[in-house]
Amino acid sequence: MMDIRAEKLKQVAGDRAILDGISLEFAAGAVNVILGPNGAGKSTLLRLLCLLDRPAQGEIFYDGLALRAMRRGERTALRRRIGFVFQAPLLLAGSVEDNLLYGPRLRGMDVSGLAIRNVLQTTGLEGREAQEARQLSGGEKQRLQLARVMLLDPELYLLDEPTANLDPLSVKNIEIAITRLAHSGKTVILATHNLIQARLLAGKVIFLKAGKLVQAGSASDVLSRPLSLDIAEFSAAENIVAGTLVRRNGRTMLDCGKLAIELVSEQEQGAAAAVIRPEDILVSQGPVSSSARNSFPGSIMAAVDLGLVVSLRVDCDGVMFTVFVTRHSCEQMGLRPGAEVLLTFKATSVHLLASG
Amino acid sequence: MAYILDGLKHGLAILLPPNREILQIVILSLAVSGGATFLAALAAIPAALVLALKEFRGKRFLVGAINTALSVPAVLIGLLVYGLVNRRGPLGLLALLFTPGAMVMAQALLAFPLITALALAALKGIARDARDLALSLGANRLQLALAVIRQGRFAFLTALIAGFSRVIGETGMTLMVGGNIKGQTRVLTTAISLETMKGNFEIGIALGIVLLLAALVINIALQWAQGK
Repeated sequence: MMDIRAEKLKQVAGDRAILDGISLEFAAGAVNVILGPNGAGKSTLLRLLCLLDRPAQGEIFYDGLALRAMRRGERTALRRRIGFVFQAPLLLAGSVEDNLLYGPRLRGMDVSGLAIRNVLQTTGLEGREAQEARQLSGGEKQRLQLARVMLLDPELYLLDEPTANLDPLSVKNIEIAITRLAHSGKTVILATHNLIQARLLAGKVIFLKAGKLVQAGSASDVLSRPLSLDIAEFSAAENIVAGTLVRRNGRTMLDCGKLAIELVSEQEQGAAAAVIRPEDILVSQGPVSSSARNSFPGSIMAAVDLGLVVSLRVDCDGVMFTVFVTRHSCEQMGLRPGAEVLLTFKATSVHLLASG
Repeated sequence: MAYILDGLKHGLAILLPPNREILQIVILSLAVSGGATFLAALAAIPAALVLALKEFRGKRFLVGAINTALSVPAVLIGLLVYGLVNRRGPLGLLALLFTPGAMVMAQALLAFPLITALALAALKGIARDARDLALSLGANRLQLALAVIRQGRFAFLTALIAGFSRVIGETGMTLMVGGNIKGQTRVLTTAISLETMKGNFEIGIALGIVLLLAALVINIALQWAQGK
């Protein structure tokens, strides 16, 4: 289990700051997911953490030890506690086994045939030892990279978009392997822009944009209660409403033209945007007795069958909401395009986003 | 036309078997150009590795300087070496002028930027990946250098072939600092040029064939090594 902390980390390419002084702490013995759009600085951060590049400014602490205070030999020793899986697989010309044995050879480490069979099995590559590594499929190459790192049994795993461009089965295999790593006490830091993967794997989510830290915290906090419009848009939050904050009868309302949505907020005026999660919105055909402060009539514009649930697009006076209902309720209530419904949600379900 | 065919026939006759003088010229040519390529590579390959792997102040200037050096005419390098090694020059005490030593020096200076630039261009695509992979799997400094050299060995060979071909065919500069002294500094190119000017066309042709053969054999040998 490795404890990692970064302080005011800055990296530049020419005059451009790729990482702009970010400070953050990673959760030890858990999966940390770095989320963000392309160009956010995710790969750059991972390369710094793996000591592949040196930061322009700032400091990284490994189990409390500062990187800059380490000598060359200590840095090599530290690197040997870390495993890195590259986004574009880096494989040697040679067999699967040649690739697996490259790390142990560099470290002067003995590995048993059993250990090799174990990692191949975990990554679903059993029996492929003799195959030419560069002739593997994309998913197999990615899994070979993971197997190569697992054979070295590092304390820290750095994974740069390990499932980008893979088929669903390969993605699932890799995700299972990652979950197991965290369960066995390894610290995993994974960069991705796959939101579902972040929800599935993350103990901690770190959201970067343009080299800056936007929000860090538990997956449910960051993804369900995003603090910024960037995250809300990135995480494809279904219901983002924009308007002006106003005080009315001692309550804070978000005025979106014809609709005024009540919410709970410290901020009391100015332009603002908010997110309401579809699963927090109750759909009914008539008024329901509830403490929820927001209730709006609307008409169904579209219904998309997602299997167990149906996603409905509801137009409430020009504001479009997405809501989920189970297929069973949907059939029972006869919810189809054109039907009139009532949407109800609590003031506390409206999450105000930081502006800008 | 008959005159050229005649020359070719006589040229071949001179070579089968070659006399002692021709053998000496061939051996000196290979030794001077081989030695110069080797010396240039000793500096050029580490230089290319550093330029491909390290980020430092003035790197762009240095790469620019090497690329500029590619277009310096050989005769200017001859002039420079002449200035350095003639009796009144800074290296005058070594008495290198009109010796194979001066020829090696000039040819090495000519080959250095070419080998560096070619090796660097080829390394660009592979050095970073080889470095990242070796480092991430725990290589120390020596292992890292070996890993990159291993990945870059074809690039280095190609650069060496180009460097050798360039210097073994060099005439003017080699003449300036070597002097084309019979039995001492006469190499294939200077001999061809001299014999042809003297009207010994068939000897020129004979030596030309040898020069072509030498280039051919070395290229085939290196290509065979690449295939391994």
